[in-house]
Amino acid sequence: MLRVENLGVRIHGETILDAISFCVQQGQTLCIAGESGSGKSSLLRALNGLLPAEFGSLAFHPKSSEPTELEGRWRGVRGLPGSRWVMQDPIAALNPKLPLGVSIGESVFSKNLSATELNDAVSDALSEVELLPELAVRRPSEVSMGQAQRACLARALVARPDLIFFDEPLSALDAIVQKQVAATMRRIQMRYGTTFIIVTHDLGFAATYADHVLVLRNGKIEANQSAGNFFRSPESRYCEELILAARELGGLPEVVPAKQGPGEARSC
Amino acid sequence: MLTSSLRVAPFLFALFRRLLSLFCVLFGVSLITFAMTYFAPGDKAEAIAHARYPDVQAFPPEILEGIREEFSLNEPFFVQFFRWLFRFVQGDFGNSFASNTPVWDIFVGNVTETLSLTTTALLIGLLAAFALSSVAVWRPGSHFDRAAVALASIGAAMPNYWLGLLLILLFAAHLNWLPAYGTGSPQHLVLPAITLAFWITASQTRLLRAFFLEAKSAPFVETLRLRGVSESEIFWRHILRHAAIPALTMIGLDIASLLEGTVIVELTFARGGIGSLLAGSVLSRDYPMILFLVMFSALVYVFINSLIELLQDALDPRISFLKPPKHDRSYEARS
Amino acid sequence: MTFQIQAEFSEETDLQKTKHGKDLNRFLFRLGVMVLCVLAVATTGFLLSPYAPNSPDFLNRLSPPSEAHWLGTDQLGRDIATRLLYGGIWSLGLAFLITFVGAVMGTMIGLVAGHFGRAADVVLMRMTDSFFAFPELIAAVTIAGVLGPSTANMVFALILVGWMKFARLVRSLSIDLVHRDFVVQARLNGLPSTLILWRHILPNIGPSLLVLWTNAWSRSILSISGLSFLGFGVQPPNAEWGAMLLDGKAYMQTAPYLMIFPGAAILLCVLAINLAGDRLRDLLGGNSVGTGK
Repeated sequence: MLRVENLGVRIHGETILDAISFCVQQGQTLCIAGESGSGKSSLLRALNGLLPAEFGSLAFHPKSSEPTELEGRWRGVRGLPGSRWVMQDPIAALNPKLPLGVSIGESVFSKNLSATELNDAVSDALSEVELLPELAVRRPSEVSMGQAQRACLARALVARPDLIFFDEPLSALDAIVQKQVAATMRRIQMRYGTTFIIVTHDLGFAATYADHVLVLRNGKIEANQSAGNFFRSPESRYCEELILAARELGGLPEVVPAKQGPGEARSC
Repeated sequence: MLTSSLRVAPFLFALFRRLLSLFCVLFGVSLITFAMTYFAPGDKAEAIAHARYPDVQAFPPEILEGIREEFSLNEPFFVQFFRWLFRFVQGDFGNSFASNTPVWDIFVGNVTETLSLTTTALLIGLLAAFALSSVAVWRPGSHFDRAAVALASIGAAMPNYWLGLLLILLFAAHLNWLPAYGTGSPQHLVLPAITLAFWITASQTRLLRAFFLEAKSAPFVETLRLRGVSESEIFWRHILRHAAIPALTMIGLDIASLLEGTVIVELTFARGGIGSLLAGSVLSRDYPMILFLVMFSALVYVFINSLIELLQDALDPRISFLKPPKHDRSYEARS
Repeated sequence: MTFQIQAEFSEETDLQKTKHGKDLNRFLFRLGVMVLCVLAVATTGFLLSPYAPNSPDFLNRLSPPSEAHWLGTDQLGRDIATRLLYGGIWSLGLAFLITFVGAVMGTMIGLVAGHFGRAADVVLMRMTDSFFAFPELIAAVTIAGVLGPSTANMVFALILVGWMKFARLVRSLSIDLVHRDFVVQARLNGLPSTLILWRHILPNIGPSLLVLWTNAWSRSILSISGLSFLGFGVQPPNAEWGAMLLDGKAYMQTAPYLMIFPGAAILLCVLAINLAGDRLRDLLGGNSVGTGK
């Protein structure tokens, strides 16, 4: 449903991303891994139109919204219609002066809902992410990190997107909360068949949740494989080292469990 | 990573950009200054005539017309502006309406008074601030520290014209130690300089105290302490060097306040100098004088601050020509 | 780390987090009450006084503080206490007006510079820098003097030289905010820029603006009184504090209370506003990003 071909991004003459091609099927989870500065976040920004693309093409065909097809140089797109983005730091991603409910409601601004419809939608989304609807009146400073990240997830969900981008969604949280939020994400994906594109540097997370793994290094693709293949026989030497390092640190089990879920690893 | 050839180009580029913006600001400054006098109400020809012939009450229109021709007052705004600017850049500041002598000569005659006042005040103020703040941070929270903080707060709120009057009342009228008004002997300088220095002491004490306190618990100071370097050596050799940058910045900002302060202090103590010259020429509508003095004060401010910015770059390795400004994300799509 | 685990499960930590907010609210409330009290005294205080501020009483010229005249009378026999109360309206009120207009002007210019493209930014910021180059009082003396000394001209002059710090602050804060994650989210969600400005940018600039504004207010009081003292501001017989100081200067030796009380009133007022501003800045936290000058 999302196909990116030969994407390149250059800032001040410096190549940030070069020849990035990949695709994701509906309901699958794509994990983008790589060290810091490898271009993971830039890729997300470029896909959302926050960075100008120098060349390449993008085709996005969601189930329930207009398709988006871009080619050549593009910039200034206000996100891909039918997609939402959950950011790394939930406190930074929520306006400190606004109640959570208003922030969540902004996600469906373009649908012009009435006040009661909006209220219902926000309450539904909040209970979807296992938060009490009463939390809608709180401000970000009055909730915990975990609650704030759940609110961000609710903000994405309320728009019923077909694709959700996650930028290191768990790294601002501590271990117990990480586990809980990850479980919620998994449940949501099972229920709605939403496609996830998750930027992470945690291979252990990727091993558990990904259908497909994309490894970036210095703005270039190092590996583009299904998760099973990636962890069994990585495409490049660099990826082998990456997996080995993660194993030694204990973040990655010796035998990667097969992923259960709707999206079987299909190639595209 | 960076070779020397890579270093030079961005440096020159940054310098060029800074100079360009300086040039723009200077042009803006002269435009605003000229507009201030151009759009002033009242007939300028009449003002000139009054200054030239103080005894005459009313002037025949021919004379006024002659003056308008002479000073090209009938020309449009921008013609007059560029003519004035062109002359100003060449160093031709014109003659004072009031005395018909060159503006520059009058200025030179007055500037020494102001310079001696400001330098004395700056010196007293900085020394006092340094002494106060360094003693205050020795034991934070002590009586002396609190007194220094209180003094700084009061100093920031003190109207300096009132302080001047109080000093005159105490030291000149009651104790009869020092002369109150006028210029001449060094004794005349004492009260005005103290008045002016008070504000500097207050603002600098506040700043330096905060800086010293922060520096005392900075990681690099902790490391020095662990290494067994003595407290006094830490202060004199390490903290002090780092205090130069914020102090320098503050002095740059204080220049404006210093210039403002001289106007008030010179008038309060009936001293000669740039400040009282400005007030006098404003009241007599001596436009060439006003133009020159306002331009002068703005230029002093702009140049000193540019100089300080350059010095900061030189002193502080963290502020680099090479790094883009912190929030320069201009490559991102603007909404 | 442990703190965050606790935060996830216990309500108490949540309350602790809001305590700061409650502190702030209580302080703002107190500040509001205080300002209202001062304004009430300044605007209606003269009703309590049996004297009129500008009516001379030649039998009681230069009388020292007494039971009838708490702070004495001036060279025309006017009651100084009454005049001080009236002076509060001039000094505080005019300074309020000037800084309010300056803040609105500066905010608009700063927002335009920060949001409407490079060209607008460059032009407006060079303009701001140019205005900034003039020492405030010198420019004000020149403008007010050239236009002719009067209250209206002084107000005009001080507004003209006072808006720049607001413009710089608002510009730098809003440029910083535009790249914050929550504004990016709002943009991606398709909110129109006016709504983003209104809902996301302005409320987050507000606190810093308030701190700067209290600072500007107290400085403006000093400027007004200073200009009046130099003869370029509020003109006699109006009872502005600086103008009263000017009156008192001539009688410094025989009747020092003529100049002591107005000066003390300025000092106390400015000190109070400064301290309130400092406290406000402490409470609003260290997120003050550059204060212009």
